[in-house]
Amino acid sequence: MEQVNKGLMKKLVDGKISDDDVMEMRRMVKKDHKRFWTYLEVLQEGVSWDEKILMRLNDHLYIVAKGDSERVVKCDCGYEYGDYRANWKLNTDLRVRETQEQMDEVYFPAIAAPEASWMEVREYFCPGCTAQLAVEIVPSGYPMIFEALPDLDRFYREYMSQPLNDESTEWFQNRTAEETAKLKVNI
Amino acid sequence: MGAIIKEEAGVLVEKTMKFKLKKRDELYGETGHYWGIKELTLKEQDPIKYERFFSRLQSSVFAAREKARFVAASPGGREMGESLWALTTAEGDALAISLGFISHAAAFPISIKHMVDNDFEENPGINDGDVFGADDPMTSGAPHPGDTYTLVPIVIEGEVLAWACSVNHIMEAGAPQAGSWPVFTVDTFMDGFVFPPMKTGENLRQAKWWENLWMRRTRAGAMNVLDDKMRLAGCSMIHSSLHEIIKEFGVEYYRQACKEIIEESRRMILDNMRSTMVPGQYEGSCFRISMLKGQQKIWPHADKDELIHVHGVLSVNEKGSLVWDTEGSSRWGYHGFNGYPGGADVALHLQMTTTFAHNVKATGGVKMNVESIYHKGSIYNPDTEFASCANLWAQSMQMECVAGNAVHLSFFMRGYLEEAFAVDDVWEGIQGSGVLADGTPYGFTNFEWVGGTAMGAYSFKDGMPTAWCSHTQLCNIGNSEEFEYLIPPLHHLGRKLEPGYCGHGKYRGGIGQTAIHWMKETGQRLGVTRAGVTTSLNSYVSLGMNGGYPAPGVVTVTAKNTNLDEIFAAGGDTPTTAGELLEYAKEGKITGDVKGWKYDPPEQSMGENDLWANAAGGSGGWGDPLERDIDAVVEDIRIGQIPEEFAKVMYGVVATKDENDLVTLNETETKAERENLYARRRSESMPAKQWWAEERKKIIEKNMRNEILEMYRKSVCFDGYDKHFKEFWQLDEDFEI
Repeated sequence: MEQVNKGLMKKLVDGKISDDDVMEMRRMVKKDHKRFWTYLEVLQEGVSWDEKILMRLNDHLYIVAKGDSERVVKCDCGYEYGDYRANWKLNTDLRVRETQEQMDEVYFPAIAAPEASWMEVREYFCPGCTAQLAVEIVPSGYPMIFEALPDLDRFYREYMSQPLNDESTEWFQNRTAEETAKLKVNI
Repeated sequence: MGAIIKEEAGVLVEKTMKFKLKKRDELYGETGHYWGIKELTLKEQDPIKYERFFSRLQSSVFAAREKARFVAASPGGREMGESLWALTTAEGDALAISLGFISHAAAFPISIKHMVDNDFEENPGINDGDVFGADDPMTSGAPHPGDTYTLVPIVIEGEVLAWACSVNHIMEAGAPQAGSWPVFTVDTFMDGFVFPPMKTGENLRQAKWWENLWMRRTRAGAMNVLDDKMRLAGCSMIHSSLHEIIKEFGVEYYRQACKEIIEESRRMILDNMRSTMVPGQYEGSCFRISMLKGQQKIWPHADKDELIHVHGVLSVNEKGSLVWDTEGSSRWGYHGFNGYPGGADVALHLQMTTTFAHNVKATGGVKMNVESIYHKGSIYNPDTEFASCANLWAQSMQMECVAGNAVHLSFFMRGYLEEAFAVDDVWEGIQGSGVLADGTPYGFTNFEWVGGTAMGAYSFKDGMPTAWCSHTQLCNIGNSEEFEYLIPPLHHLGRKLEPGYCGHGKYRGGIGQTAIHWMKETGQRLGVTRAGVTTSLNSYVSLGMNGGYPAPGVVTVTAKNTNLDEIFAAGGDTPTTAGELLEYAKEGKITGDVKGWKYDPPEQSMGENDLWANAAGGSGGWGDPLERDIDAVVEDIRIGQIPEEFAKVMYGVVATKDENDLVTLNETETKAERENLYARRRSESMPAKQWWAEERKKIIEKNMRNEILEMYRKSVCFDGYDKHFKEFWQLDEDFEI
């Protein structure tokens, strides 16, 4: 196999691909460079909104171009999380499992569940569709983990040779602190 | 090159290792190419000869591994993937590596640099067929003293041209705590038989004193001597092969080809990175408990519980290669979970080698594409020479998986889903010492859950049980009988998969494995501890993949003074998994002192009919569990891998299983239960911004247990992490946690 076609890519995204096809993909001597474009095409066809997907972040989340000057995180349900440079988790709904009884619900046997006096289980849900987007198991007070801040301009220009039209040195900056600064003002 | 000057030892300066190391680094720094090699001249001029030359090198290390293990070896060395042979350049850069512990290639240059920096070329001298050994983490790059290295130089006309190297994990390290990964240590003086690089033999033969040392200073001397012979046997084969290869191809060809091979490898690994990654920054973390309070009263400075924090950010630099910055990882401490940069790299390179050194010559070229930053004073770079490194592996394996998950998320973002899975390696070992009835003392380690773990879930498929192992390509848990004859009192009462033990999700992780060791004929004494990676006090890594739950930590269950004899006499059932053992105790089907441990148990004195059970090797899930296909849950129930009651709580699937293993799905109740679980999510959650304000208050008021506050203190002492922490929580500059 030299190139994964759109049909196969859709099967892979939908979890309906055969083991043999997966094995063929893994055996590719060199990964197919055009895969990214096929991937975007399949993903774009799978959502009901029109904003252009720039990058997939998560099973449900995408960085999309919004208008001429914004790049925001958007769920496949349509819910928007704001500027992708800030940790999107700040705009989720969050359930924290803090008691042992709550933690024992998510691991089996119960002895395998984290110890409630040391850890908490954070479950991040989409406010739009209630999908579980992320799970963190950390001690109290631990900053939310910012899973990925892609350097989109560099990827599109240097890796894919198709620069984005709104390139700017300001895109590859972590803006999470600016968001939390706004939260502090509201306390 | 400068004028040729003879040194006292009679070797031309340009042929000394000291010169070569310096020149290599200068040329790489100036050009970005290994030894400044910009053109692969030999490859271009005669590619067949070039590939034939490399295949000869590669064959020599493969052959060494496949034969030496059957010359002499402990079961860990022979049966499992716990060994490696390699051929390196004079500077220690790997040219060819066998199957097995591939990432230990990161350690060889550390030993060699230590020997060069300490003028070993003058004293004790480095001659053809000398034998050197090392296992000191600080000076040899060993992750921990249980990983023992043998290095044999290949010298022609006074010039060191190469090293035949080997490493394997020995069965017993000679520390106060018996086994090969002590957990309850304070400093390096409790790590066991630790030795920096040293000459231990000549002419491919170890000195007698060396064998005597193993016999006197470790509890499994005979096994350790067998492993020592195994390593040397393989190195001798490589030594002999290389002399033949150089005779055939010539020294000049050899010198140039080595440089080209590593440069070619560097380029191809970089190309693999650029072809699969999305540049950017990826954050992750994990935790490891060190529960020493009450156990170190002789050494009060170590008598405390510590939560170790491991934090890392993976980024892609301007070349397209990777930078792994561990800032925020805890300061080193008086426990056995520290390491030095060489050992930390051995862990990190597990991911980097297996992930990116495919379709290429796997060489020292990996190192040139992975910059690791271990901050001075941290758990990976202590600002003391005396830190204990007895069991770095008990947390560094988590660290390398945090990096691995960052890489795999990047693959997912770019569309290479077939390569992206939740990365875990929840290894476990049990270890100890005893005295047989006839007075014979012994030490032991059971490696079974070191050799294989489950594979994590993909975004399109469940993980598989006992299907992989991040530290070797040769996933192999070993034969039960191998361990039973080696450790006389331990017998497998159960050895199988532990139902439900994994990270759950739309696609669940591979189910982990469990063993119950039944103690019989325990002799005069038997003490057992565990050695493995993180406990179930916390998850293996902090972050699940895309809404899935991360892999659970290792579970230990002990049972003492049981009624097993009565159960056997009555022909009753006995538990076969760690989870079952707890259930049996709860239901009164087994009596005695049964205890489940979410942290490392102190040494347990075990007697007749006592049980030691564990569950390890479960892997992480991927995606939202409520999106899991209902038929897949039903199938899991049918094959006994997910209990019915748990399927309802986790997946919202209501089904019953009869005595013939037929599962009946209640579709109406399933629909209602899934709706109920979604409703619970909505009612039990709050906007994250509201949570942020409440959580911030806890930090300002220091409203959390002292050990957690102390963990933050040992992370914010690094400036970058202090900034990260304060910015996220919007704390004042002068705030001190």
